Amino acid sequence: MKSVRREARSGVRPERAGAPRRAWGAAAAVALAAALACAGCSPPGAGKTATAGTQSFVTEPVTTGQVAALGDVTLRMWADQAEKPLMKSVVPAFEKKYPNVTVDITYKSFDDLVATVVNAASGSTPPDLFQGNIGYAVDGALVKAKLVRPLDDVAATYGWLTGTGASTLAPARWNSAGTAFGDGNLYGMSPISEVQGIYYNKALLKSLGLQPPQSLSDLEKQLPVVEKAGKQPVMLGNSDQYAATHIFSDLAATEQDPTAIRDWIGGKANTTFATTGNEKAADTMADWAKKGYFGSGYDGLSNEDAIARFAKGSGAYFVGGSWNGAKLDPEKFGFGALTTGGAGATASPWHIAAASKATPAAVAFLAALHTPEAGQKILDTGRLPVVTDGVRAANSLQSQTLDALKRTIAAGTQVGYYDWSATDMLTVMGGGLQEVMAGRTSSADFTKAVQDTWRKARESK
Amino acid sequence: MSTVAPARDRGPAHRAADTGRPRRPHRRLSSSLSSLSWSSLLYVAPALAFFGVFVLYPIGVSVWYSFYAYDGLTVGTPVGWDNYTAVFTDSQLRAALLHSLLLLFFYAALPVSVGLLLAGAMSRIRVYGLTLFRAVLFVPQILSSVVVAVAWRNLLAEDGPVNAVLRAVGLGRFATSWLGNFDTALPSIGVVGTWVEYGLCMVLFLSGIVAIDRSTYEAARLDGAGAVREFFSITLPALRPQISIALILTVTFALRNFDLIWNTTRGGPGTSTTVPSLYVYQDAFQNRMLGRASALAIVLTVVILLVVVAVQLLLRERDGTRSGPVRRGLARRGLERSRLARPAGKKAQS
Repeated sequence: MKSVRREARSGVRPERAGAPRRAWGAAAAVALAAALACAGCSPPGAGKTATAGTQSFVTEPVTTGQVAALGDVTLRMWADQAEKPLMKSVVPAFEKKYPNVTVDITYKSFDDLVATVVNAASGSTPPDLFQGNIGYAVDGALVKAKLVRPLDDVAATYGWLTGTGASTLAPARWNSAGTAFGDGNLYGMSPISEVQGIYYNKALLKSLGLQPPQSLSDLEKQLPVVEKAGKQPVMLGNSDQYAATHIFSDLAATEQDPTAIRDWIGGKANTTFATTGNEKAADTMADWAKKGYFGSGYDGLSNEDAIARFAKGSGAYFVGGSWNGAKLDPEKFGFGALTTGGAGATASPWHIAAASKATPAAVAFLAALHTPEAGQKILDTGRLPVVTDGVRAANSLQSQTLDALKRTIAAGTQVGYYDWSATDMLTVMGGGLQEVMAGRTSSADFTKAVQDTWRKARESK
Repeated sequence: MSTVAPARDRGPAHRAADTGRPRRPHRRLSSSLSSLSWSSLLYVAPALAFFGVFVLYPIGVSVWYSFYAYDGLTVGTPVGWDNYTAVFTDSQLRAALLHSLLLLFFYAALPVSVGLLLAGAMSRIRVYGLTLFRAVLFVPQILSSVVVAVAWRNLLAEDGPVNAVLRAVGLGRFATSWLGNFDTALPSIGVVGTWVEYGLCMVLFLSGIVAIDRSTYEAARLDGAGAVREFFSITLPALRPQISIALILTVTFALRNFDLIWNTTRGGPGTSTTVPSLYVYQDAFQNRMLGRASALAIVLTVVILLVVVAVQLLLRERDGTRSGPVRRGLARRGLERSRLARPAGKKAQS
């Protein structure tokens, strides 16, 4: 008995005695680690130096001789995996033309790319050529930290500033502090454009005796007809919180001057989101949701799942953009814009690293992307080129989408996306719209919350 | 105390040769720095280096960043405690913390209860193919959380199997888009968490039950104890260490939960399923506000540590180590436990 008790005591007590000591040990270890990491407590990022300014100015198109002078070189690139089909046709031709260049592309999903590309670009061996994303979180950070080379000389030399694609460069223009975009120096180029609009199920509309909607008022007349026929009018998958913002921006663009929207997105002073047009658009969203035009349970359905269901025949309309087109059968579905043009934007721009040692090759690669030939390949792989001259569509869905894009660019309604306006805008706006559509927030409170986020983002710059 | 002093002067070699005396007190006290042996440090050096580089250093960096406004690229500006003030004054974060507390119930309390129930049942009822059941019930724990999220997103969808079952049994009016409804989204994610965690708890408890001497159950049965009494009087007290571990694991999982929510609702609809770690991710990777993200992460870590310490203290209190009346009362149980753990008669570990 005695021995057992002693055993119990000696077996347990030391743990208790050890506990505080261990705690102190852990605290000491963390403090030590903090001290080590802190390294004299200089501000983080102080050791880094920007390497801009070593680039030579481009005045003539890059020649094969200039690229050959680089010797055997690897052009390291980071790209969205959606670019893979296009790259598969562009890269072999490029490597054939410039035999001393090996193109090495790291593909990432869009989410991964956006989350990691800035860190990669600020590393000691950044990729030479990479895709960023329009807005403050990625492109703004890259410009602010001087990690990307200005491309004004390249654009002028290669004639990007004239022709159909010229206006699509605006979102890649930044002031030198990286605090406002839409104007200023050019820091990126995207060969791919996007247009928002409405896809419709041809057979379903025909069976209900409806014509493809040409305008918002057409659509508003048709929605109740589809609903009464027992079909879901609009297929929507909003669990990722962004699909509804596209519908909202289509509605908002019909209610007000596109220039005003673009100014607000670009962060122009004294602009506001709390406009009657935006409130009306939000009210329409809530109204449609209440009437069941989006079906039920859209907040529990992902956008990917929604487009898959629409492709299989459920839902009469799908409000989205040209990036959804590749998943739809061109025979069964049509595309139209709701406004005279339709909202839209350019896809993620390409940047040349300021520290790149293969700049001529990178410039040559960008130039190869900005050609009618590449434009044709972009369309062939299910997306929309910014260079539309001489590009031919293979089917009616492609030509409808291309047509909408041309009209959008001509009408100046390519306003971009709201979430470019602040790094946390997608969350605020996406979540806010969910509340509006569920009838939990008024449209006025919604526009106010969005404007507050916009203002905070400006104040923190 | 007199037995302690000489130990300090002895090296490990000497200690190894010394077999005649009870050694535990010596070893315990010699853990002070003065007797730190460099050759023994050599053995743990690789692990220590790994721990330092991949655990301590990042924690240190987070603490450092948390006092700056820093975008990860340009030189940061010191802001003192501002990032911490922001953490404690942000109403959205408070709401997120409340969500976390509700998730504690689903991620920790429920799995431990269900695990106990299952383990208790499995230990008493002879189940054929027990190994198979154990393996199957443990599967959720090994699955990647992304797989779990995608699977449950489909199960809980408007037209998913869960609603199909509800409709089939005439409960169709309760069918809803579970993850898309403001009122059901958070509890639904909670249920997914319960499903992930209960297998781990059950396996932990089963291993604990195996260590219980069967004769105590026999004795209890001879005394007329039923299944319930047996569970509460023998199984439950004996499982205290396992329950403690299970709670620590599940509570940590609950409070730092990110992947399940990110892959099911992204904090929506609205902000109904936001949790603090969601804001850590958004601030760090989307908003490039590494300072604020670090401050929030540090606060979250401290909160988790506090909860874990509280759990440990609560479950360790009765280990029969206190002096005075409490100890006497509890020493009996400690005695029972040591008997359960080691067959009586076997000598104390030496």
